[in-house]
Amino acid sequence: MKKLLVAATLGLAAPAAAYADCGEVSITEMNWASAAVVTNVSKFLMEQGYGCDVTVVPSSTVPSLASVSETGKPDIVTELWINGAPSYNALQEAGTIVTLGDVLSDGGVEGWWIPTYLVEAHPELATVEGVLANPELLDSRFHNCPDGWGCKNINAALAEAFDLEGNGFEVFQHGSGETMATSIAAAFENQEPWIGYYWAPTSVLGKYPMTLVDLGPHDPEVHACNADPECETAGKSSYPVGPVKTVVTTTFQEENPDIAAMMANVSFTNAQMGEVLAWQEANNASAEEAAVHFLSNNSDVWSGWISEEAKGKLAALIK
Amino acid sequence: MAIYDGIFKTLGLSDWCATEDTGGPMTMAELLAQANNGGGEAAADAPAPATPLLETPFPSLDTLHKSCGSIPRTRDMTSAVEEGFLNVKDGLKVVLDPLTQPLSWLLDWSLSAFQATPWFIMIPLLMLLTYYASRSWSVLALVTGSFVFMAFIDHYNYAIQTLSIIFVCTIFCVALGVPIGIAMSKSNTMQRITIPILDMLQTLPTFVYLIPLIFLFSVTESKLYGIAIILYAIVPVIRLTDLGIRLVDKDVIEAADAFGMNSWQKLTGVQIPLALPNIMAGINQTIMMSLAMVVIASLVSAPGLGVLVLRGINNLELGVGLVSGFCIVLLAVLLDRSTKAALGRINASEK
Repeated sequence: MKKLLVAATLGLAAPAAAYADCGEVSITEMNWASAAVVTNVSKFLMEQGYGCDVTVVPSSTVPSLASVSETGKPDIVTELWINGAPSYNALQEAGTIVTLGDVLSDGGVEGWWIPTYLVEAHPELATVEGVLANPELLDSRFHNCPDGWGCKNINAALAEAFDLEGNGFEVFQHGSGETMATSIAAAFENQEPWIGYYWAPTSVLGKYPMTLVDLGPHDPEVHACNADPECETAGKSSYPVGPVKTVVTTTFQEENPDIAAMMANVSFTNAQMGEVLAWQEANNASAEEAAVHFLSNNSDVWSGWISEEAKGKLAALIK
Repeated sequence: MAIYDGIFKTLGLSDWCATEDTGGPMTMAELLAQANNGGGEAAADAPAPATPLLETPFPSLDTLHKSCGSIPRTRDMTSAVEEGFLNVKDGLKVVLDPLTQPLSWLLDWSLSAFQATPWFIMIPLLMLLTYYASRSWSVLALVTGSFVFMAFIDHYNYAIQTLSIIFVCTIFCVALGVPIGIAMSKSNTMQRITIPILDMLQTLPTFVYLIPLIFLFSVTESKLYGIAIILYAIVPVIRLTDLGIRLVDKDVIEAADAFGMNSWQKLTGVQIPLALPNIMAGINQTIMMSLAMVVIASLVSAPGLGVLVLRGINNLELGVGLVSGFCIVLLAVLLDRSTKAALGRINASEK
């Protein structure tokens, strides 16, 4: 252990010499668990493989895009959930940003979730019909997203289409994501019923096993209408798999094509990300340690993302 | 192995320490070390140079854990705190839940009463109340103008919800705060104990105690935001009641003693009336502080103008945020002016 500590102090001093061609890069770190892992892994690869000087900007979906459109910074926005970012299309069309690729290759899974222990006890709750027929098994309360989240409008429309209130449910709107996550945790601690909106991959769903309620088939047109607060005819449609992208500013892509090419390759499957998040939860680890866990155990995955030159620099870690 | 190994050896604790592994998740520094040493294996085999004196780490839990596996890491400590809370939560719930239930009832009841009253009754009622409290035409004009303006821009409902929450929370703050302040003024020990608690209430980030509270009560209970507002806003009324009573002239107390007043008569007949300007100033500050908590309370699902501010922030709808923020300021100004005018009348009647 001492050797490692000492080596660490040497190691920290060494990269300073490597900052040669890449320069300064700023990258967002969204305020949820999987994004922190993506950012820390990307930061490591950019610093150690390409010699960049990386600044991490803590942010979240809407503010990060607003900052990009107003100031052209940060250079890289990663784990951008397109469904929750209304300004994405405008920026894309205006040519301010370039989409590099899917950072979560399976996409994000959104929908209505129920604790798995409830579904095991009452298998009929796995479908929306079963849910509607048994409000008393679910505390008669549906947990909706806070005002200002894209999912709030969709859930409100779905609640209307499925007539949640007519079936004896009360739609409770949370004030913030924190209380939503805590209400799930509290339900699990007391083994109480819970039904509401959430999304994966997240550390909440990594820690607490939950089952997605089958809302029937997905209809893009109905879904678009549900998402639009102006559209009045609410319909039934499940959530599509949400694309989760990495985008960079156009100027950054022109100036640093090889970094952009590498970031385009950074992509996790839900299984990989789920494994990392579960490990992080089990070990009480920080996001940085989770990134290290991924980097030290999945060199076959990330070695495919980086250039030959970077592979040379990181050869010691590739097994 | 690690830097503090020697200490544990001299203390003869090696056996106790050796029971558990000293490993932990690999840190970024260790990974960097591997990357820069041209292979993890080679680095591990190399002889370890001594750590320079200047880089000696502080003997924190994490550092000591590297030398001695039996010492818990900081993350073990925090998860033990979590465990501990989860273990006592059922007991706490039995006590706290019924105790705080009246708050939920009152908040819900007042919210529905405020909202059920139609605007053409509510606004004149508020005007009447303002005039009765302040006897000032300018304050009355301000209150009327503000409410008509908020109603005109469709913010009346939200403003009334906010007003109802502040109304209930202020009642609780006064009902609890004034007796606590009186107790503080009577006993120096009580004052010494209470002041650090008051300091803590004013500085503790709200979510630090709100998140554990969600484990105790359902997140849908209105008392969650009630507690958040009251804990923050009760402080000035306690402090200023204490101060007001302590500032009552010693000669006046002596005179009261000479008349043979008992301590209850002294308190109600002499001290509280003389301290009333200070107590009212405390109530005024309490109202201002509960308004300051409106946005944070909306994070735990409080209705009202705070919801609009949050929507403005979340969606980057600058206009929504600015207008609702302005309405909160308007409410603050009119509540401040009305209570100040009422305070002015009390002061004038004292002279």
